[in-house]
Amino acid sequence: MKLSVDVVIETRSLCKMYGPHLALDNADLSLPRGAIGILGPNGAGKSTLFKCLLGLIKTTSGEGTVLGYDIRTEGDMIRSRIGYMPEYDSLDPSLNAIDQVRYAGELLGMNPGQAMQRAHEVLEYVGLRDQRYRKIESFSTGMKQATKLACAIVHDPEILICDEPTNGLDQRARDFMLQTLKRTVNEGGGTVLMSGHVMDDIQEVCDRIVMMHKGKVVVQRDIEDLASQIDREVEAVIWGGASRMEKALIDGGLRVRRLGRVMRVTIETEDTISRILEIAAEINVQVRELREYEPDLEDIFLLIMNKLGANIKGTSDLMTEAHTGGESVE
Amino acid sequence: MNNDESQLDIASGKTRMEVAYGSGDGDDDAKAVVARKASLGVLFEQVYRPWNGDLGPRWVRNYAIFRHHVYGIFSSKGHRYYNPFVRLSILVIFLSSLTPIAMIFLSSTIPGEASEWLTRMWGINRYNLWGQVLGYYPRNLCMWPLLTALVVGGMISDDRKNGTSAIYFSRPVTRTDYTVMKFLSASTVLGFVIVFSYMLYYSTSIVFRGEGWAFLIDTLPMFLGGLFAGILLVFTYTSIGMALSSISQSRFFAAIAFLSIIFGTKLMAFLVEIVFETSILYMLSPYDSLAHIGQWLVGIPPNYDHSIAFSIVSILLYNAASIGLLVSRVSTLEVTRE
Repeated sequence: MKLSVDVVIETRSLCKMYGPHLALDNADLSLPRGAIGILGPNGAGKSTLFKCLLGLIKTTSGEGTVLGYDIRTEGDMIRSRIGYMPEYDSLDPSLNAIDQVRYAGELLGMNPGQAMQRAHEVLEYVGLRDQRYRKIESFSTGMKQATKLACAIVHDPEILICDEPTNGLDQRARDFMLQTLKRTVNEGGGTVLMSGHVMDDIQEVCDRIVMMHKGKVVVQRDIEDLASQIDREVEAVIWGGASRMEKALIDGGLRVRRLGRVMRVTIETEDTISRILEIAAEINVQVRELREYEPDLEDIFLLIMNKLGANIKGTSDLMTEAHTGGESVE
Repeated sequence: MNNDESQLDIASGKTRMEVAYGSGDGDDDAKAVVARKASLGVLFEQVYRPWNGDLGPRWVRNYAIFRHHVYGIFSSKGHRYYNPFVRLSILVIFLSSLTPIAMIFLSSTIPGEASEWLTRMWGINRYNLWGQVLGYYPRNLCMWPLLTALVVGGMISDDRKNGTSAIYFSRPVTRTDYTVMKFLSASTVLGFVIVFSYMLYYSTSIVFRGEGWAFLIDTLPMFLGGLFAGILLVFTYTSIGMALSSISQSRFFAAIAFLSIIFGTKLMAFLVEIVFETSILYMLSPYDSLAHIGQWLVGIPPNYDHSIAFSIVSILLYNAASIGLLVSRVSTLEVTRE
């Protein structure tokens, strides 16, 4: 299988079955360098895809390459050149951060001296310079995530796979993690493959997304391209009769998405805005705000998932207790 | 800024001497030198540094696993953490396994019947060679299992508990390498205490007693028989311990389960022997099966009525079952948890 010039990951008709369950269904991927977000509801096949790309499991059928190496036969070579940051805890709490990262480097084949020097560098990079001699058991979640990232980039990998890197982080730690990932792509010249449920995080780091649903790759495009294909909408904040307004707009032949008092109306003709105002005047409701709406990644995701028949009303539907720490998401 | 502050010129970091010392005393033009206001600097500058080194081959990765687990016995700094109590216990067990050497040394320094008695009690003969590995109570019956429980208990269960298996398997470490190197690390520590002390006992006895080539040639087959029994004991204990470690997330469970198997089977066989006067159930006890094989290898009359074949089959089955369980459990260790 020949690799395209700028393509780092390529799969064709990749299938993986666990008994009767089809976890990956003819997944065709062609991913260039850069930051790529992997999106999909739970059970969509993201983890299975990662395992296939890391060469950890045998695919049922299909073929694929990562950095030119065959995922079926050259898993060792792939894992030498990929950094993987797992979603869950994967650190020895009894070790210091510096020793954990050094050991992670040694497991890649670095000699102890190289690994130690590099451990100092990457821990400084992820913001743990002053905490590197502390035991991991005393670390906060953010510091543990940063240590996992340091372990993943200790050998300066060409591809960095991050499984929900902002999971459990507070706002400050989250911002730093996202900034670090962006810098890794921009300054390190690498590729970041990032899965997550928080669309804002993906949108902040990635310029391309892969959407998965029931084992299929349903979308793989630039976020900007996708956004440009979504219908332009105008957002109107209604006061004093949102339900009446919604009904009137629909009766008036307009397409409406309602979120409480907010109506998002598809702009189909030049006079859509004046039609909204006319209808509001007719039924005596106030239009308190009216502005053109820029669709974000969450809109794109929900729109595509709704078209696919997935019953997802928001990203909170994608969260499990592990993501929320047992709290309900509003 | 109020009047006083504008006079002090706090914002620019400058002030006037008059404020401190009054005006009109000839220092009108003087200015105090004060610390300048620090400009907003960057305390942490995040810079990505590339790395262009070469990664070593498979043996380098495997040696790293081995080193991590074995060096931790001597120094926890930077390697796998062993509790100080565990390290102290290993030291005590190792030193106690060397006590016959002290007795042999004593026998070589004192003359007469006392020396002969000490040599008969502790010197090289079939019974003592077997006893050094498998016979003496409480050292070999109690301390070797305790040593195994302490060393092997957390080998894999810790990875299950902490999720550290992902650190291995997301790197070019295969499950075979992982299992073999962990096994080798544990058996090296056990081997150092059990087999190395046995070899030390044999060699120092010859040196302290001033024995010649004839004695060496005469006793070498017995020594090799005991050596093989020791290696078999280390292998069997390690495989049972590793299997138990692989099925749980608790090193305590693995340790207690191992001790229960060793002592439970022996106690049951002992009770059956007392009541029914048959030794056949000793084949269920790994310790007794090993002791039986050891007696056969060294060439001393067995303590058991049943055939040696039962003990050999028992040890083969124990090892096969343990390794099978170990392999199957390691294959379920996940990189991405779902």
